[in-house]
Amino acid sequence: MLGVRLSGTENGVVGRAGPRPRDGSYSRRRFLAAAAVLAGALLTACGRDAARERTPTDAEVFDGLLRRELVAGAAVARVAGAAAVARQDEQHAERLREVAGSAVTGRLPDPGGDLRGALARKQEGVFAYVDALPQLEDPELRVLVMRVAASEAAHLAALRLAAGGEPVPDAFAGFSGAPA
Amino acid sequence: MTTRVAELFAEARTDAGQLQAALHVEQVAALAYAAAADEPLEGAERAQALRFAEHERRHAAAFETLLFALTVPVRAHAGPEDLDALLPRLIDADRSDALRGLAALEGAAIAGHQLMGRRLLALDALRTVATVMAGGAQHLVVLRHALGKTPLTHTYETGR
Repeated sequence: MLGVRLSGTENGVVGRAGPRPRDGSYSRRRFLAAAAVLAGALLTACGRDAARERTPTDAEVFDGLLRRELVAGAAVARVAGAAAVARQDEQHAERLREVAGSAVTGRLPDPGGDLRGALARKQEGVFAYVDALPQLEDPELRVLVMRVAASEAAHLAALRLAAGGEPVPDAFAGFSGAPA
Repeated sequence: MTTRVAELFAEARTDAGQLQAALHVEQVAALAYAAAADEPLEGAERAQALRFAEHERRHAAAFETLLFALTVPVRAHAGPEDLDALLPRLIDADRSDALRGLAALEGAAIAGHQLMGRRLLALDALRTVATVMAGGAQHLVVLRHALGKTPLTHTYETGR
């Protein structure tokens, strides 16, 4: 709003961050098709999802999310003018680490050093948080993940806004182009 | 207004009820952005409000699909009276009040979606709820920016 310029380049950045539609292709029809697949899953499920039988523990899920958060945070930390976002990422990581109950070991991927890379890592993080939700047993942890996911999605909008791009190029925070 | 939205979510006891509450709020949000675009927003802000109105319509369509999966028909659609019930002063609001009202509505919706995170039994549906919530969080950043608020983002976005 609000004095924000549209930027095709910016949309391209997100395109590389995750599955994104071509212009005009992520229509309501496409989203509804994806939702219909989900609907099928709902119809065949009874109460809690059967897939839960194969899911990892909540701590293991958080360990995976922590890795994503650390990579995204490292990428944002290299972006000029993104200190506030980087601080919030550190707080996310701290909380995730508490729940995971373990320190991340092993080498993390190189996060890249520019805004484009930071946006890509952030978008991957939002995908990971949302994807993790059905795997979590503890309802309070699901709420925590939703709050962090919302914060991460907001970071994307704020970073795009600061760069003069369209802050909200997709109604579903980058998910509209996800494979059905 | 936020109290009424919170009540809508809190009163819902079943998955279908929660999804119906979420659907209603998205439908009202679409009407709210369209009304704000009609008046008092202008220029780039008006254009953005129209875009966000379309986003809200897509969110509503997503919830309709989930309800369809639960074999719950969606017959009622929010109308002007529903907008007036949730945002009673939007029609006569000036720019700042309109933006504040839209931000409050987005925030209340986010809080409602997070309540669903605690209560929804069909956990696969939570992914769709979360994508709508994430879209709302991005709208909220734009509204906060327009209102000159800082910070634009919070460590834990609760909508409040």
